[in-house]
Amino acid sequence: MKALTGKWSFYINGGLLSVMIVLCLYLFQDTVGMNDGMIKISEYAEQSAEQISANEEIELPPLEWQTGFLGGIFIGALAASIMSANWKIRFFQDKESGIISKSLKTVFFGLGGGFLVMLGLQLAGDSFLGQWSGALQLSGGSWIFLLSCFAAASGIAILLEQRGESGGDK
Amino acid sequence: MLEGNYRLAAAIFIGMFCGFLLVKSDLAWRKTCLNMFLLKDGRLLKTLLFSLGFGVALVYFLQHLEVISLHVRPGYFWASLIGGSICGIGLAFCFRVPITAIAAIGTGRIYALWSIVGMFLAVSFVGLISGSLSSSIYSWSKPLDAPQQTDAFLDAGNPALWIMILTLISLVFLHFTFSGEAEE
Repeated sequence: MKALTGKWSFYINGGLLSVMIVLCLYLFQDTVGMNDGMIKISEYAEQSAEQISANEEIELPPLEWQTGFLGGIFIGALAASIMSANWKIRFFQDKESGIISKSLKTVFFGLGGGFLVMLGLQLAGDSFLGQWSGALQLSGGSWIFLLSCFAAASGIAILLEQRGESGGDK
Repeated sequence: MLEGNYRLAAAIFIGMFCGFLLVKSDLAWRKTCLNMFLLKDGRLLKTLLFSLGFGVALVYFLQHLEVISLHVRPGYFWASLIGGSICGIGLAFCFRVPITAIAAIGTGRIYALWSIVGMFLAVSFVGLISGSLSSSIYSWSKPLDAPQQTDAFLDAGNPALWIMILTLISLVFLHFTFSGEAEE
């Protein structure tokens, strides 16, 4: 039971992450990641907007394997956080006082950060899990992506920390 | 290869496992990712390094046994470099990649929704500028060569062997450099 409620060692986490990626390669002949799922959802939203403007009936969202994977992540994370008593509702990333200040910070960091993350992933042509899978398969492009990504993230995070702007909750 | 509903069911189960693993490995938490990038917490770094070293060897042997085949999307030097740098800058602000943002919402961190909204906006934005991307960053360099692997694992020219050795050295270094794990 402790295995489900406690933390796992780094070698178990790292090993399972690799096994999961290899299992995806075996079962799907592809890597799974949120990139494809998000593109599917984005296409659905665009199609629904066109149907609304043409006064047509809106179709149900597609349940394909890419979107199913995303739903699975939500359920798995929910189960793991409840089991380890880490499930907490949080609306702001910071605990500081002042609702306007922390609201603006949450929206700016979340929206801007998310936009840049997905822009970078789209330019490089794969999801983050896909890049990780590519690195395991010795793809040069994936190694360049991961090294530049970690270098940039670490550099900017250290700069923001020195300015005292990167704190926050879990 | 799975098809149809079996494929969907397997994707949901693997997704559930992935979500569980993201929480157990602390990859879903903003604070631990921040500490990793600030080089204050070695646990996540060790997890990622171990995954790379172990995974490279696993893929090598399973591919040689013809259990799996390689599936790598074509990479372009400038697209990977610029994309990686932009993604890294974004990570330093929100500390979420798409799958960890979904996992964070599952753990009750509703504010990760803003990151998801930003990601959807980026998908639409790239759709708008895709024409100019094809004539710029993707045309600056030729596609990178497909991954090359040697027949013998213990060959000095085998990149998988070197990656394993380097990750092992890095793991030992991190183990003795970081005295303890940062608090969540």
